[in-house]
Parts: sequence; C-alpha cells; structure tokens
Amino acid sequence: MRIVVGIKWVPNTQAVRFDPKTGTLIRAGVPSIVNPHDFPAIELALRLRDNYGGEVIAISMAPPGAIQGLEHVLGMGADKAVLLTDRKFAGADTLATSYVLAKGIEKISREIGPVDLAIFGHETIDSSTAHIGAQVASWLGWPYVYYVRDAKLVGDGVIRALRQTEKAVEEYDIKLPAVLATAIKALKPRPVRLSYKLRAKLEKPIIIWTNDDLGLDPRCTGLKGSPTIVANITWMPEVPRKKIVYKPKDPRDAARWILRQLFTDEAVAPFLRKALWGEE
Amino acid sequence: MSNSNVPSKFDVVVVGAGPAGSSAAYLLAKAGFKVLIVERGRGAGTKELYGGKIYAPPLREVWPNLDKEAPIHRWVTTERLSFVWKGRVTTLDFKLGRRVAFTTYLTEMAKWMADKAVEAGAVLVDEVRVDEIITEGGKVIGIRSGPDKLYADIVVDAEGVNRILLEKLGLAEKINPDTVALGVKEVINVGKKAIEERLLLTENEGMAWLLMGDITQGIPGGGFIYTMKDTIALGLVLHIGKAYEAAKSGALKDTVPMMLEKLRVHPYFSRIWRDADVLEYGAHMTIEGGLRYMPKKLYMNGLVVVGDAAGLLLNTGYTIRGVDFAVYSGKLAAEAIIKAFENGGPTEENLSLYEHMLKQSFVYKELVKHSGIVKMMEDPTFFTKLPAIVNGMMGKLFEADYEEPTVLEALLESFREEEMSLTRFLLKMFSVVSRL
Ligand SMILES: Cc1cc2nc3c(=O)[nH]c(=O)nc-3n(C[C@H](O)[C@H](O)[C@H](O)COP(=O)(O)OP(=O)(O)OC[C@H]3O[C@@H](n4cnc5c(N)ncnc54)[C@H](O)[C@@H]3O)c2cc1C
Repeated sequence: MRIVVGIKWVPNTQAVRFDPKTGTLIRAGVPSIVNPHDFPAIELALRLRDNYGGEVIAISMAPPGAIQGLEHVLGMGADKAVLLTDRKFAGADTLATSYVLAKGIEKISREIGPVDLAIFGHETIDSSTAHIGAQVASWLGWPYVYYVRDAKLVGDGVIRALRQTEKAVEEYDIKLPAVLATAIKALKPRPVRLSYKLRAKLEKPIIIWTNDDLGLDPRCTGLKGSPTIVANITWMPEVPRKKIVYKPKDPRDAARWILRQLFTDEAVAPFLRKALWGEE
Repeated sequence: MSNSNVPSKFDVVVVGAGPAGSSAAYLLAKAGFKVLIVERGRGAGTKELYGGKIYAPPLREVWPNLDKEAPIHRWVTTERLSFVWKGRVTTLDFKLGRRVAFTTYLTEMAKWMADKAVEAGAVLVDEVRVDEIITEGGKVIGIRSGPDKLYADIVVDAEGVNRILLEKLGLAEKINPDTVALGVKEVINVGKKAIEERLLLTENEGMAWLLMGDITQGIPGGGFIYTMKDTIALGLVLHIGKAYEAAKSGALKDTVPMMLEKLRVHPYFSRIWRDADVLEYGAHMTIEGGLRYMPKKLYMNGLVVVGDAAGLLLNTGYTIRGVDFAVYSGKLAAEAIIKAFENGGPTEENLSLYEHMLKQSFVYKELVKHSGIVKMMEDPTFFTKLPAIVNGMMGKLFEADYEEPTVLEALLESFREEEMSLTRFLLKMFSVVSRL
C-alpha cells in the first residue's frame, strides 16, 4: 500500500506572543514544529505500512524550512518525503493549499507509483479549519472519512475506518483510493529512531517539487488562488490582572476570601447572583 | 523499511551536541574522520541552560574567527559582585581593562558550534537519545539507542552533567547531591536601550553580576545577572544537598521558584527590569565545582569523556565557568584521538594521552587552584556571614545619625552582631586560604 500523509509546518502557537499595543501576533523568533495533530495521521500511516507493506510518503506544501519537520517524520520511519515549495504557493488559503496537495498526490501516483490512501490530521494548531482532508478528497474525487481512530484493510482494496462519535463507534468500509483524517490524539506517535534519522540525514530522501514541476496555473495557487478574505480579526481584549496575593490560614479561609472577592466585584457579582439565584 | 546504504559504523560517535561534543566533532571532522554526533534535543542547543558568560580565549583556539562569526551578544566590560543582606546591598564594581569574556545564549552558541562541526563534515542526528555505550571485552565498540546499534572506533562522551551513560558503564558513580547544584533562571525582556541606560553600558558592552547573601536563604550558592543583547538573564544557583537538608528540616521557607521570584522583586534589583516581562524560565543541574565530580578515569579503550561529564567546571561563587573548559577538553580529546590513530588506534594506552594533556592544561590547573575557594564558599562562615558582616559594617558607617564610628569600630561591631569573633574569622579564613 502506498500511503501519503500530510504534514503542516506550523509556528509553535504556544510560543507565539501577543502584542497588546498593535493587536498583532509576534511570530518573530518563534520556532516551527510539525503540527501536533498530524502525529496520529503519521502513526496510522506507519502502522498500516508495517501491517500490510508498502511505503509511507510524507507530503507538505511549505517553505524550505519545513525540511526539518519532514526529517522528523522520516526519523519516525516514513520512507520518503515530498516538499511542494514555491513562492507562487505562498499566502494560500485552504482551497489553494488543498489544490496544490491534491496535484502533488497525483504527481506521486504518476511518477512514484499509485497512491492508495492519503491521511491528514484533524486540523492545524495555527488555523483550526479542519478543511484540508475533505478538500483534497474533493479535488481527487476520492471518498473521505474523518475523525478516524483506527483503520484496517478488509477484502480487496477496501479499508475499514473506525470513527468514534460521542455515543457510538462507527465503522466505514470504503474503497481505495481514499482519504482519511484522524481524530485529535487518536494514536500515540512512535519516537524518532537513530537508524531512520541517520538515513534521513545521509540519503536525504526528500523530493522537492516547485511549480515548474507541478505546472499549475498560478491563478489557482497561493494568494491568487485563495478566495477566502479575512475581513477582520477581533482580538480578545486583554484582561488586566489585579495581581493580588492572599495567604489564607486554611482552605476555609481561602474559600471565604475568594467568594468575598467575587461578590464584591461589580463586574462579576451580578452574573454570579443571576446564575446562582436567578436574580436580575 | 529499507536501510540501504546507511553505514552501521563511524570512525567517531560523539554523544551530545553541547560545547564539549561539538568542539571535538569539529576538530575531528576537519582532520578527516567520519564523525557522527547524536543529540537528544530537537537541534543542537535546545536542551541547554546556563548563566550567561563565556571566556573567549580557549574558544579562539578552536575557532579562530570566533569574534567575527559567533553569536556574541555583548563583551563583558563590567563585573559586579554584590553582598545582599536584609535590604542592604554592598556592591563591588569593576571596569575591565580588556575583552576576555562575552555574553550570549548558550542555545545560540551551541547551535553555532554544532553548525561548524556539520560544515566540517560531521553528521548531526538530533531528536535521538543514546541509551547505552556498548562494550565488548572491556572495549567500547559503539552506542545503542532504542533498538538501534551503531558502531564506532571511538566514542566521545559529551553527555553533560547528568552522566547516565557513564554511570551505566561504571566509570562514574551515582550522583552525590553534595557535588551538584541546581540552577534556575529567568530571561527578562528589558530591551536594548533600557539595559544600556540602566546599567551604564554602551552598545555591545555587557555586565556580569554575581550576588551573594540572604537571597539563597542560607543555602550555599548565589545569584547572577547577565546582560544579553536585549534581555537580562537572572538566576540562582543552589547547593542541592544542602537545599534538600534545609527543606527536610523545615529551615527553608520558600520553594526554589519563590526564591527566584523574591530576587526578581527585590527593591534594589527590580528597578533594572521594571515594566519588563519574563520571557522564559528554566532550570538545569550543574556541578558544585572543584574536582570532586571528576570520574576516576577520563578514558578507556575506545572512549574519552569531555566537558561537564568529566567534571570540568569551576564554580567559585563569584564566577561560574564551564563552557570554555568543555570546549577546551573537546579540543584536547580531538588532538589525543588524532595522535592515537597515528600510533595504532584508540587503545587505552594511546588515549591516556588525553588525560595527561588535560592535567597539563589550564583547565585542570584552574580546578586545582580554586578547589579551596569552592570549599570555602560552601562554608556558612563565608557565604552567609560575609554578606552579613559587610553590610553590617557599611550600615554602621553610613547610617549613623550623629556620630560615625571608625571603620574598625564598625567592623568589630558588625562581627559582634553576627556572633563571630574577628580572630576566629581570620583564623578560619587563614586555614582555608593556606590550603588554596
Ligand atoms: C545555572 C547554570 C549557570 C551556568 N553559568 C555558566 C556561565 O555563565 N558560564 C559558563 O562558562 N558556564 C556556565 N555554566 C556551565 C555550562 O553550562 C556547562 O559547563 C557547559 O554547558 C558544559 O558543556 P558540555 O558540552 O559538557 O555539556 P552540555 O552543555 O550539558 O551538553 C550536553 C549535551 O548532551 C546531550 N545529551 C545528554 N545525554 C544524552 C544522551 N544520552 N543522548 C543524546 N544526547 C545527550 C544534551 O541534550 C546536551 O545537548 C552554567 C551552568 C548552569 C546550570
């Protein structure tokens, strides 16, 4: 089975700071990481390959810095990686991104060998759209199941995807080729291994394709191919903290003190009273 | 998966891409050896935490273009030492006559050193932890990481202070809490202009500022303040064994983070970083200092030990030096390895040259010379009484309402207040100093 797994190289949003004066995110100097929600997808791809043979190809549309992230995935055991990188791809929304990814997958099918399955993570930590899997499936015309926790092959060219909803576990039998998106934290990723990482460093099994290789209409990629307009962003106002330190004598004293603070706070007390006693 | 052409053996495997490992790897790769560096962090430098000041001359012997190429933040032009006691602060301020040390982040510096090694041809594999140094018939033959083994003619152990691999190998004993210290540090976003205005520095000038006194609440150790380009590093170093005892006996009131917090809001120091945010905080173990942490042997058949793992750290209370020692030991190890290969291979006998060279070098001589100071700094007579007495005397001299005492009167009075006799103090000092 040839499995493609999508990787996004994202700024570590935990390290991104907010400039309250200008209302913008301070991204400078923030290290990038592999999108954490991609790891269950990577793990699922590797498990399927380990069980049924074949190869795992990590794919990413990103600037060249993403090679570091692809090396991590190769270190986990992926066989190859494909980096789709071009200035013409920059500034893409999910539509333009999924278009480039789908075309990259088609090129893999043509030149490396037919792709049976594409797996994506649930969503990314820096944009949280959860669009990519569905959109890639649409471009390719392949069936799509998301929220997947596990999958196995059943019969000829059919994969059974397990999907957990709030109340039930659903099983979908879908014909390959197909696209899956995993649920957040569905599978625990394996660690990087010395021999795999060494191979990644020495053999550099990373194929780089620019738009010269893909030959896409530049009106369909990057900023030009992105119909999404971010009309406005309203940042959550920064709440000025009072920074009061109180050293309670015991838990009872602590509870009293907190309640007193809350009930004497003009901004909080009315809501509290309403919630507790329905008072207006 | 196919592991087609990946070699299962290198000439040299270096464990750890810190200053010690990267300098050895750089020199060996430059000499034509096939070198692999294995680092558990994501990229070299990401696991590093130190104070802030590095002595340049030993590094220039490895990288002659250091001054031009390295990520140097500021050259240290002012050294300060403060005695802090109950709101009183006495400070010695020394303006240096020449540039010997610079400030930088070790994360940046270690990355630069590792990049140099890679440029010279070494292979760096990061995000991989070495679990074991493997031996066969008393000879080191390689390393193991998870299920993977990799062979080497020689392994350079540069794993740093927490030398789990050496312990497994039986070369180092389990850590004795009395030989190690805990370092905690915050990076404060003060801004370039504010740093220079508030500490009277000009562009590129830096300050190294060590603090002694009640900020460590009776635990041997001290505080540090280093100026980076636009931030200030503020931290504490605490004797782990003594801190543990104090915590167990109830003598210690605060947790370590609270101690650091109190230092940050100390009215005398806090004005330097007023209005500034804490960007990051972290902790790292370090060596108390002296020679006690040195393994009995720094080499064996197929192995050399460099840097912190070899116990090469000087911690006198008024200065802490490990990076330049680490780099220099890496250089000596590389030279000894090159010689060993010329003479038939990395046998125990050939590698003994490394220990010999190290013991002839300034690194070992410094450690021997200062071992008395290290002991002295652990003695409560000095690290607590000294700040108390100094500030007591200054208080008597300058806080008099009408009649000022003479210097001698003030000194004797503050000795009396600390229940210490001058003669006993001098005797004790003499007995320690004579052992230096
Ligand atoms: C609070 C504090 C303040 C200090 N201040 C100063 C100062 O101002 N100036 C100064 O010169 N020195 C200072 N030092 C000391 C200095 O940091 C060390 O001496 C120096 O970093 C030692 O270098 P090293 O290469 O031996 O080890 P390290 O820098 O510790 O590097 C060891 C490397 O090995 C890696 N590693 C460890 N085990 C494994 C494994 N099993 N597998 C793979 N990789 C592994 C680690 O991730 C790390 O990257 C300070 C230390 C502390 C803690």
